[in-house]
Amino acid sequence: MIDFTSTNIRLWSRLGSCGAFGQAALSLPETKEKTVILTADVCNFSGLDRFRASYPDRVYNVGIAEQNMIGIAAGMAREGFTPFATTYAAFATMRCADQIKLCMGYMNLPVKLVGLSAGFSVGILGPTHMSLEDVAFMRALPNVVILSPADCTATVKAALAAAQLAAPVYLRLTGSMNNPIIYKEDFEFEVGKAIELRAGDDIAIIATGSMVLHALKAAELLEQEGLFAEVLDMHTVTPLDMEAVEKACAKNLIVTVEEHSVIGGMGGAVAEALALKPSRPPHLLLGARGAYPHAGDYPFLLEYSGLTAPQIAGRIFETYKELF
Amino acid sequence: MTNEEKYTKAFMQAFDIDAENVRTLEFQAIPAWDSVGHMGLVAALEEAFDIMLEPDDIVDMSSFARGKELLAKYGITF
Amino acid sequence: MNTKEMRIDILRMALAAKSQGAHLGGSLSMVEIMAALYGSVMKLDPGNMENKYRDRLVISKGHGVMAQYVALKQLGLLTEEQLLTYKSNNTAVNAHPSVNAALGIEFAGGSLGQGLSLGVGLALALRCKGNAASRVFVVLGDGECDEGSVWEAAMSASHYALNNIVTIVDRNGLQYDGPTEDILALADLEAKWKSFGWNAVTVNGHDVDALVNALSARPGRPLAIVAETVKGKGVSFMEHAAQWHNGVVTQRIFDQAMAELEAES
Repeated sequence: MIDFTSTNIRLWSRLGSCGAFGQAALSLPETKEKTVILTADVCNFSGLDRFRASYPDRVYNVGIAEQNMIGIAAGMAREGFTPFATTYAAFATMRCADQIKLCMGYMNLPVKLVGLSAGFSVGILGPTHMSLEDVAFMRALPNVVILSPADCTATVKAALAAAQLAAPVYLRLTGSMNNPIIYKEDFEFEVGKAIELRAGDDIAIIATGSMVLHALKAAELLEQEGLFAEVLDMHTVTPLDMEAVEKACAKNLIVTVEEHSVIGGMGGAVAEALALKPSRPPHLLLGARGAYPHAGDYPFLLEYSGLTAPQIAGRIFETYKELF
Repeated sequence: MTNEEKYTKAFMQAFDIDAENVRTLEFQAIPAWDSVGHMGLVAALEEAFDIMLEPDDIVDMSSFARGKELLAKYGITF
Repeated sequence: MNTKEMRIDILRMALAAKSQGAHLGGSLSMVEIMAALYGSVMKLDPGNMENKYRDRLVISKGHGVMAQYVALKQLGLLTEEQLLTYKSNNTAVNAHPSVNAALGIEFAGGSLGQGLSLGVGLALALRCKGNAASRVFVVLGDGECDEGSVWEAAMSASHYALNNIVTIVDRNGLQYDGPTEDILALADLEAKWKSFGWNAVTVNGHDVDALVNALSARPGRPLAIVAETVKGKGVSFMEHAAQWHNGVVTQRIFDQAMAELEAES
């Protein structure tokens, strides 16, 4: 059993989302006896050293061969196993897109694909290691559930939830080491059900992954300017929580924020969901746009993309003033 | 609880060991003190003393004895 | 299995597909491979194709699936009427396989280079479950071996010391655009598999006994059989002819082909 004690929550935060996933993985065989883990030469980076020590015959390091990893995972899923396959999000998704389409999209095999360091967190290594397009691809596939936890506590919850689902899952991990804590204790993580973290009547900020924290901070800044924003943690991108999106339409402005391209991500999902609605608020989509930034550290890249809390608040404030 | 007791307890809790085995302990001397265990120790110390350790100090905390020296910086004396 | 009847059935399916065309060349080349597997080698129960101790078969060269369908007809699992729905809308006998557990079609196919990875996954899963009774057979095309993912999977099978996986390469020497050696030379395929840590042999892929003999080996590591075949085997004008990789069978062509096939002893 995994304990959501304050020390553990602090530990997961210290380890970052990859390490937190590794800690969650350790408890999986207790409830899902047929859990196996595959990794493409990032066993240590995925926080899986302890898992490997405890369950040596349940870890398959396939080497730097992502396409093969997806196929092996799918073969094991076909035989009733619950395979988690981990590597950097950029390589986990786009490198083996066709394998994912066949195995997870078409055949609906319950592979749990874990995309590490999605977004900008390893952007110091350059655009090859940034993953800003993964959701756009994964979202276009039928059957695949997409989870995007906001912090390390939520990462643990999402990993446990993914194991229980009969569907293929893409678990998108954002943020880096020493990931700030949003969920200080155990909480209910229901797949497909957004969590309201803050109430506000003027604006609905729908955020996912690492951007939930920045959205919360932006909402505080907006409050100082007299604008009250609700903040929703949209931890499930597919299936999208339509009820929460409908409710957000009661505000004057909808804002989506994600560490992903504004094309095809969670913001795109919200926009598509509302496309046919005759009466709906304007929608400001925040995320990465345009050319790839130069390699840089995490704060630098968030700043470049306009995704720090003051920048988010500024964009929302300007947009709101222009519209109303 | 004295600081000595709090400090010892954090180690016992992080690595699930008895008090008598704590004092001579060093990083990677036991399986539990691996990289994950190290962060568990950091979390336990931060909880016990209500502090936030600096990244350099986290890296430096290589033994039971060294950890005590490092905590002096945070106003914790033994 | 009656390989003459299997070829006739393939021709009938191709005729039924009308102007949609059919992947005749690569289906006709693997008839004996299917006959050896379904007729002699594979452990299976036609009454229960989901028996957990069955051998698993993955047709990675999905376009050759007609040869699998006609073998399933030999087992009594598909009727002639069903075969003749080939390539019609919503048919169970697609141009490329779709998953059909009741027929023992484990995976969908059509995108080349993926089946061996799926097979490695099955083989690892069987080992994890302690099922030493079942083996995994993967049929690859030779042109398919252009795909790098085939070799990722080949490396992993020997790395994991899988003794329960067998791959059969239908070495018919032709791919869509022409001879494999002109498009992207495969050279000595047996040597390639050996260098990837497999036990490899080359056999006449139209000799069922030779195939059965090779497939029965248990070398204690992954086994690759390079089956030397003729693309379009059995119909003279389709043999060694790249244009029959995928071609349209008119009534006239059908009659000509049938005359040849039926004349065969």
